Amino acid sequence: MSADTFFFVGASGLILGGLYALMATGLAVVWTTLGVFNFAHGAFLALGAYVAWQVSDGSGGPATFLLAACVSAAVLFCLGYVSHFALVKPFERKKNMVLLSVITTLAAAAIIENAILLIWGPRDKQVPAAVEGSFELFGSALRYQDILALVTALAALVVLATFLRRTATGRSMRAVAQNREAAELMGLRTSHLFALTIGISTAMAALAGVFIGSLRFMNPSFGADPLMKSLIVVILGGVARFTSPIAAAFVVGLAEAFSTFFLGLYWSPAVLFGMMIAVLVVKPEGLFSRRTKTL
Amino acid sequence: MKYDPPFHHTNGFWPIILVLAGLIALPWMQTDTYVRHVLILALVYAVVASNWDLSLGYGGIVNFAHLAFFAIGLYTYGISAKILGVDPWLAIILGAAVALIFAALLSIPILRLEGVYIILVTVAATQLLARIIVSQSDFTGGTSGMVLLPRLTIGDFKLSSNGRIGYYYCALALLVASTAFLYGIERSAIGRAIKALHDNKYYAISRGVSEARIRLYTLCLSAIFPALAGGFYGSYVRVASPDVFGLGFLTIILSILLVGGIATIWGSLIAAFAVTIFTEALADFGAWRDIAVAVVIIAVVVVYPGGLHAVLQECWGAFDRIKCGAIARFRRHWQAERRAMLCGAPDRLVETSFGRISVFDHGAGAQAIVMLHGNSSCKEAFYRQYAVFCQRYRVVSFDYPGHGVSPNGNPETAYALDAFARILGELVVKLDLGRPIVFGWSLGGYVALEYAARGYPLSGLAICGTSPIGKFPDDMPRAYIPTPSMELTAKRFHSPYEKNQYALHTAGTDPAIDPMIRAAVWRTDGQAREQFFNRLKTIDWPRQMRVLCESEVPFAMLNGRKDPFVNNDYCKTLPYANIWRGAPYDFAEGDHAPFLSCPEAFNTAFGEFVDGVTAHGGRFA
Amino acid sequence: MTAPLLELRNLAGGYPPVAVFRNVNLTVAVTESVGLFGPNGQGKTTLLKTVAGTLDPWEGDVRVDGERLNAEGRMRSRTSRHLNYDLFRKRRIRARDVVRSGVIYVMQGNLLFPEMTVKEVIEIAPAASVGRSGIAAMRDMVDELFPRLGERWHSRIRYLSGGERQMVSIAVGLLALPRLLILDEPTLGLSPKLRVELSAAIAGIRTMGMALLIVDQNIEFLTGLIDRLYLFDHGTVDREIGSGRMPSRQEIMAMMFEARH
Repeated sequence: MSADTFFFVGASGLILGGLYALMATGLAVVWTTLGVFNFAHGAFLALGAYVAWQVSDGSGGPATFLLAACVSAAVLFCLGYVSHFALVKPFERKKNMVLLSVITTLAAAAIIENAILLIWGPRDKQVPAAVEGSFELFGSALRYQDILALVTALAALVVLATFLRRTATGRSMRAVAQNREAAELMGLRTSHLFALTIGISTAMAALAGVFIGSLRFMNPSFGADPLMKSLIVVILGGVARFTSPIAAAFVVGLAEAFSTFFLGLYWSPAVLFGMMIAVLVVKPEGLFSRRTKTL
Repeated sequence: MKYDPPFHHTNGFWPIILVLAGLIALPWMQTDTYVRHVLILALVYAVVASNWDLSLGYGGIVNFAHLAFFAIGLYTYGISAKILGVDPWLAIILGAAVALIFAALLSIPILRLEGVYIILVTVAATQLLARIIVSQSDFTGGTSGMVLLPRLTIGDFKLSSNGRIGYYYCALALLVASTAFLYGIERSAIGRAIKALHDNKYYAISRGVSEARIRLYTLCLSAIFPALAGGFYGSYVRVASPDVFGLGFLTIILSILLVGGIATIWGSLIAAFAVTIFTEALADFGAWRDIAVAVVIIAVVVVYPGGLHAVLQECWGAFDRIKCGAIARFRRHWQAERRAMLCGAPDRLVETSFGRISVFDHGAGAQAIVMLHGNSSCKEAFYRQYAVFCQRYRVVSFDYPGHGVSPNGNPETAYALDAFARILGELVVKLDLGRPIVFGWSLGGYVALEYAARGYPLSGLAICGTSPIGKFPDDMPRAYIPTPSMELTAKRFHSPYEKNQYALHTAGTDPAIDPMIRAAVWRTDGQAREQFFNRLKTIDWPRQMRVLCESEVPFAMLNGRKDPFVNNDYCKTLPYANIWRGAPYDFAEGDHAPFLSCPEAFNTAFGEFVDGVTAHGGRFA
Repeated sequence: MTAPLLELRNLAGGYPPVAVFRNVNLTVAVTESVGLFGPNGQGKTTLLKTVAGTLDPWEGDVRVDGERLNAEGRMRSRTSRHLNYDLFRKRRIRARDVVRSGVIYVMQGNLLFPEMTVKEVIEIAPAASVGRSGIAAMRDMVDELFPRLGERWHSRIRYLSGGERQMVSIAVGLLALPRLLILDEPTLGLSPKLRVELSAAIAGIRTMGMALLIVDQNIEFLTGLIDRLYLFDHGTVDREIGSGRMPSRQEIMAMMFEARH
C-alpha cells in the first residue's frame, strides 16, 4: 500500500470519525443525563437531512447550505424538546425506565421513518454541498465538503463542551444529570433541562445528518447505518461521560475506513463487531471511560 | 414450599380449553384462504412474541436479538432445504439447533453486562447477522432474499392443500407446544431462578443462583421455539428475505408483546391475534399502518403499561367483586332465617365509618364477649359457642367488610388489620359493650391484638390459631409452619379447587368440613385477602407484642395441637406477662379451629378463662 | 398574631400504597430553631421530602406564611393498578414553589453533584434565589462559616470527605438565601471533631436570624442548637418539648421507648 493510499484512507477515516463523534456524543449526552438510550437518534438524523434538503431546494453554495443546516438544527431541536414530554417524561419515575424508553424511542423511529416516506417518497436524494470541488493533498484528492464536515463536527463538540462547562444553563444541565433530586431541591426546572438536553442531542444529530446527506445519497431509512456505527462507538468508548465516545469515534472511523479498503464493504461490520466484543469481554465499561455516569 | 397447583386446578383451565376448542373448530367455520392466512400469521407471531417474554419479561434481559432467532430459523430452513436438499421437517429442527448455538455465543459477551449495554450488544449482533446474510448473496440471495423454498408435506399430502388447513393445524400445534413449554419453564426451578434474578438480583445470587448460567439458559430456552417458528414460516410463505431484520417486523412483534402485557404468556397470545388482525386490516395504508402500530406502542407504554392482560385482570377483578357482593346481598336477604336458626338470634346491619357491618348481638348478662372470625370466614363459624355463652354473657360477633354478609368495603381503606380493629372500637361504643372480653381466631387474633394495642377498652384477650409477631416479617418463618397452602391466604382469585382447599385447611383437616365455612370462602372479596396482606408491613407489631409481654391484660392462648399452620413451640417461648394457666393452652384434638373441631373442650376451657376474668379479676400470673 | 413561617397541618404521605407518616402537625416560627428527633425508619426523611416538594402529600396542608403550597384536599386513590397515573395526575406540590417561598431542604448524606467542583456548585447555587438581594453578603458569610471549603475550591465533590460534603450542601442551601433551612441528619457519619465544627457553623447560621428545622440522631448535638423539640415516632409527631430546659439523652430515650400501657 502506497503512502498516498494510506493517507487517503486515513483521511476518510478521520472524516467518518468526526461525524460519528458528533452523533455518538448526542447519544451519550442524553444517556448520561436521563439514563435513556435514544433509538430514534438515527431517524432524527435522517429527518434533519431531509429538512435541509427541503430548505436548500436543489441549490448549493455556502449561504444556502448554512441556512439549511441552521433551519434543520433548529427544527430538530424543537422536535427533540417536545419528544421528551411525549417519550420519556410519562414514566420518568418508573423502575424499568430504560426498557420503556428504548421501546418508545424505537416506536418514534418507526413513526419518523414512515413520515419521511410519506412526505418525501422513497427515492434517493442528496443535500447540495456548500463548496463543490476538491483539492490535492499528499497526492490524494479531498473534497472541500469533507473537510468542512470534519471542521464543523469538531467545532460543534468544542462549543458543546464550553456550553456545558462555562454557562449557567450548561452547568445546571450537568447538575441535573448528576443528581436529579438535589437539582430539583435547588429549584432548577428539571423537566425543562431534560428536554433541553434531548433538544441539543437531536440538533447535533441533524447537523450530522446534513453532512452525511451531502456526502452520500439518502433515503428514508439511511439513519440506521450511522446509528448502528454510533452504537458501536458508544460501546467502545463507554457512555460514562459525554466526552468519552469522541476518541472511540475516531478509532471506529479509521477502523472502518481501513477494513473496508482491505477486506471489502461487507466484512467491515464484522471487524467492528469483533472489536466491540473484545472490548466488552475485557473492559465492559468502555476503552476510555470509568464506571460512573455523569455529564 | 412453593404453592404450585396442577394446571387443571387453576382458574385458567376452562378458559384455555374453550379457546383451544374454538381455535381447533375455527377453520371449519372459516374456509376463506385469506382469513386462514391471517390466522396462521397470528399463530406464528404469537410463538415469537410469547417466547420473547421469557427473556425480556420474566428474565429482565433486554434481548433485542430475539428476532435474530426467528431469522436464523428462516434462513437455516431456506439454505438447508433448498440448497443442501435436506428434508424440510428436518430443516426446521436444524434451524432450532443453529439458533441454540447462536444464543449460546450471544450470551458470552452479555454475561457481564447490565441494562442498556445488553440492548446495545444485542442490537449490534442482530445488525451484524443481517449484514453477513446480505453479503453472502450466493447462498442467501442478498437483499432480495430466497424464493420458492420447499413446501411441507406429510407423505403425499401437501399442507397447503385444502385451503392451507395443514399449515393452520401445524401452526396451532406449534403454539400449543410452545405455550406448554413456557408454562412448564415458568414453573420449574430454572423459571423460578430466572424470576428471582429479575426481582432481586443480589439476593438471588447470594442464595446460590448462578447469574451467568441462568442468563445462558434463558437465552437458549427462548431461542428454540422462535427458530422453529421461523423455519415453519419459511416453509409457509416460501420466501426468506432480510425484511425480518427490519424495523417493521420488530415493531409488530414488539407491539404484540406490549399490547399483551410484559411478563405474561397469555397476554401476548391474545395480543397476537388482535395486532395481526389490526395490521392486516390496515395493510392497504402502507406507511400509515406502520405509523399507527408505532403510535399504539407508545400509547400502551405511556398510558397503560400492563397491556391487554392487565385489562382482562381488571375486568375479572371487577366481576369477582360484583359477584361476591351479590352473593352477600342474596344471603343477607334470603338466608337470614337460616342464620338465625343456626346462631339462635338474627343479625343486623350497623353503620360504621368503614361501611355497614353485619353484627350478631345476643345473650343476657352485663359482661360482653366479642368473637372475631378469621381470614375468608364469617361470624357463623362460632355458632357452637353462641349456644353456650349466650346464656350467661352478651355475645357479639361481626363480619368484616368483604366477608360473610357484610357488604364489600373500600379496598383502599377497609381491608386492613387496623381498619378491622377500629371497626370493633366503633362497635364497642355504638353498642355500649363496656369493657368486653375479646376472642380472635386466626386473622381475628391479630385484630384482637391490634384492638388491645390501640388502647381500646378491654377486660380480657383470647386468641386461637394466631402466632404473636414481634418483628415483621422476620418472625413469620418461626411463627408459622411453612406449608404450600399458606400461599392461598393472600391470593386474590381462588379457583374452585383452591377455595375448597383453603376451607379445608383453615377449618379442619377433616374433609367433612362445615358447608358454611366453604360458603364463606366463596363469598369473601378476594381483594380483602390481597390488600390485608399487602398492608401487614404497616402494622406496628412491636406494640402488639408489648401488650402481651408487658401489660397486665388477662390473656389466653387456646391453640390446637394439630394446627397445620401455627408453630406451637414458638408460641410457648414468648414471655407472656399475664397468661391464663401460665402458658399457652392447647387442645390435643384441636386443629386450626378447635372451637369447631372439638367444641366441648374448647367451650369448657374458654368458659374457665372468662370466669377467671370476670370472677377473679383476671390475675393469672 | 402572624402566621408561623412553616406550618404542617394533619399532613399525611408516603410511597403509595404504603402510608409512611400521618397526622403530622408542626410549626416553625420566624427566627425559631426547631429540632425533630426520632428513631430510624419511622418516616422523618419521607416527611421532609414531602415538605420540600419531591413527594406528593396525601392529605393535609403545607403552609408557608399561612399560604398553602400544596393542592387542596385528599389525593384521589388509585382505582387501577396498571394505569400510569403520573400522566394524568398533576403534582400536588412543586419543589420550585417551596424553594421560591424560602424553604430550603438540605438532603441527608448528600453527594450533591459528584463530578462538579466546589466552585461550580457554589456558583450555580444562587439560581434558586432569583429576585432576592444579599447574595454577595451571603457569599462572604459562607467563606467565614466554612473556611475549609476555601482550601478545596477546585476539587470535585466526590473527592471531598463526608464533613466537607455536608458543608458544601449547607453552603448551597444558604446561598439560596433561605428563610427556613431544613437540615436532614447533618451529623450522619461525621467524626466528633467535625461534628463540633459543624455545630459551631450551624450556631453561626442561627445568629443570622434564619429559622432552622434540624433532624438528627445525635441528641447532644441537637439540643445544643434548638429552641423547641418535636419527638417523632410511628409516623407521626408524638409530643412537643417546649423552650424550657432541654431534656437529657436518657430522659428522651425514656420518653420515646417506655411501654405505653
